[in-house]
This record gives sequence, C-alpha cells and structure tokens, in this order.
Amino acid sequence: MKRNSLWTLIVSLSLAGSAFGLNIGDKAPSTTVKMKNVDGKELSIADVAGKNGTLVIFSCNHCPFVKAWQDRIAAIGNSGKDKGVGVIVINPNDPASYPEDSYAEMQKRAQKLGFTFPYVVDATSDVARAFGATRTPEAFLFDKDGKLVYHGAIDDSQEADAVTKHFLQDAIAAAATGQAIPVKETKFVGCGIKLRAKT
Amino acid sequence: MVAIRRNIAAGTFLCLGGWLAVCALAKTVRVEDVRVTPVTAADIQKAVRDSGAKAVLVNMWATWCAPCREEFPGLVSMAHKYQGQGLKVLLVSADSDADLPAVKKFLAAHGVEFPAYLKAEKDQAFIDGMGKQWTGALPATFLFDGSGKLRDFWEGETTFSAFEQKVVEVLGKQMKPTGGTP
Repeated sequence: MKRNSLWTLIVSLSLAGSAFGLNIGDKAPSTTVKMKNVDGKELSIADVAGKNGTLVIFSCNHCPFVKAWQDRIAAIGNSGKDKGVGVIVINPNDPASYPEDSYAEMQKRAQKLGFTFPYVVDATSDVARAFGATRTPEAFLFDKDGKLVYHGAIDDSQEADAVTKHFLQDAIAAAATGQAIPVKETKFVGCGIKLRAKT
Repeated sequence: MVAIRRNIAAGTFLCLGGWLAVCALAKTVRVEDVRVTPVTAADIQKAVRDSGAKAVLVNMWATWCAPCREEFPGLVSMAHKYQGQGLKVLLVSADSDADLPAVKKFLAAHGVEFPAYLKAEKDQAFIDGMGKQWTGALPATFLFDGSGKLRDFWEGETTFSAFEQKVVEVLGKQMKPTGGTP
C-alpha cells in the first residue's frame, strides 16, 4: 500500500509540475531578450510595452488553429495601440520541423495579414520556455505593472461566426480601463510548440 | 491488385514516417469500416472505467498535427501488440467535424480497425474533463489503470519505448518491453 501511495504521490507531483507555466499575477519573464522582427529590427517585449499593458501571443504560420484565428489576431493586435496596449507576436517553433514557420514565411504572413505590430522569432525558443508556453496561438496579457492578468485562448471558437466569449478582447478592454479582468485563464486545444533543441 | 499496391504503398509510407523500431505494414482497413464516435471528456472517462482493461492509453491527436502523425504508428502497434494482454488504446481526434472524412482516411491508412473517437465538446470543458495537467497542446497521451486512475501523462511527441515501458508497468507484467512490433 505504502509503495503504491508513494508512487501515486510521485506521479501526481510530476504531473502537477508539468502543467504550470506562468501564474496569474506573475511578472513577464525574458522581457529584455531581443528577437528579430519581420522588418529586420531586433525587439524585446520591454520595447513594445504599452502604458496600459502588453500582449504577448505565441503563434506561428503552419498551425491550423493559428490559421483559424489569424484574422482575429491581426485585428486585436492592430487595435492594441488605440488601447495603450503594446503587442508582440512570437514564433517559437523550430522551422526545421515546420518549414512554413521560417522567417521568410513569417514576413509573407505578416504582410498578407497587414500586421502593424511586431511578429518576431524566438531564435532559441527560450522565451517560450520561460513563459511555459506549450501551444499556438497562446495569449499572455500583462497589465501596466507587467503582471499577468490573462492567459489562454483568443476566444471560445475556431469559427469566427460561432464565438460567444471574446476572452482576450474583454481582458484587454478591462486592462486598458483599469477594470477587473472578467475571465483570467482559459484552456484550448492548440498545436504543440516544437521548441528548438537546447544549446 | 490495385488495392494491394495501395496498401503496400501505405505501409512503406509508415516506415518512412519515423519510428523505425515499429515500422510495419499497416493492417488492411477500408475507410468505410472505420468507426469514429463523437465524445466528450466524460464519455472518455466512462469508456476508460468500463473498458475492463488492465491499462488504457488515451491519445489526443489531429490529422494536421505533425508530431501526432509521427507517433501514431507506434500507438497503433502498441494497441495490436498488447491488446491480448489487457491494454486498450483510445485514439481521440481533435479535428473538426468537417474533417471527419480525413480522420477516417488517416485511421484506415494506419490500420485502425478498433473504435476511434472524435472530440465533440468545447475545448475548455474537454481539457478540464480530461485532467488539469493537460494544457491543450497536441499530441497528449494519458495512461490509466483498470480502475480509471491516471498513472502517467505525456504532452508532446513521445517515443514508443517510453509509452511501452509504462504500459508494461501498469499491465503488471514481469517481462521487459521489447521495443518492437509483436
């Protein structure tokens, strides 16, 4: 019995450990790491921070979920500055695994969708590791003090016409006006991030 | 003859798709014979409890997910290798309803003659219903014992030998995993 209990405890602890990245209230990590933007400039999360907060989205090109949400990501990202929220979209995927996630393809995607916000390469995938990001598209919204106030999905449906809950937009609106965030964490099925090997 | 050539071609594809240790020609399964049932997380938990198996491996995958496709042949091999020894494998696709034909085609190409499943619930409820440890990233695999207790969990592509080692443990077998097909 004792052996089984101990085994269960070990499994439970290891399972619990695997589930946690940033918690609500945590400060944004890796904010000074420079990442190459699609315009060729090197930018960090700190460089794009807005007076009312910062939105970080881990995304990519190849993922069908990203494709399903890409127009909504573009719209939310492009409207960030109107709300005083800085926006940066980070691609942490190894293009060796997904050629569609290469820098050249990112440039094409950003141009096609009319991104007015940075779309950058996490060249070591270490920023994704620091955030505990596991899938795309995964959103992290930080308030003006740099504390995580929302983490999760863009909204509640792949189909734009079927959305009933605009989690991220509502969180941005609340953060921009100093209101309480209505829903702080959501889960969604997404493409697992293919991290680059640790160097 | 054409069908035979098609099956050989499918088998060759599986070999080239990685997991050389489990490379084998897929069983011949016709698309029209593939059974896919829409499920909620509660349905899956019930299927696990009612399985009568010593161990149940539940894999979340999707046709468009490259790492899912990589590990898939190994999961099918696992199902065939240990089905007579108390293992049941539940393959649950996270594809959309519209992609059901592609799901069936993929399952047939991989020789899945046993029942398979399609997620039919909103993400949040489905993920929470499966367990707090799952972030929602694909692939994800849960290993339950016969009582429905979670014994292990993997998020991201996992090797046949990693799965097999734990499966053998939960099956309570004395033998060492072989790492190959039956």
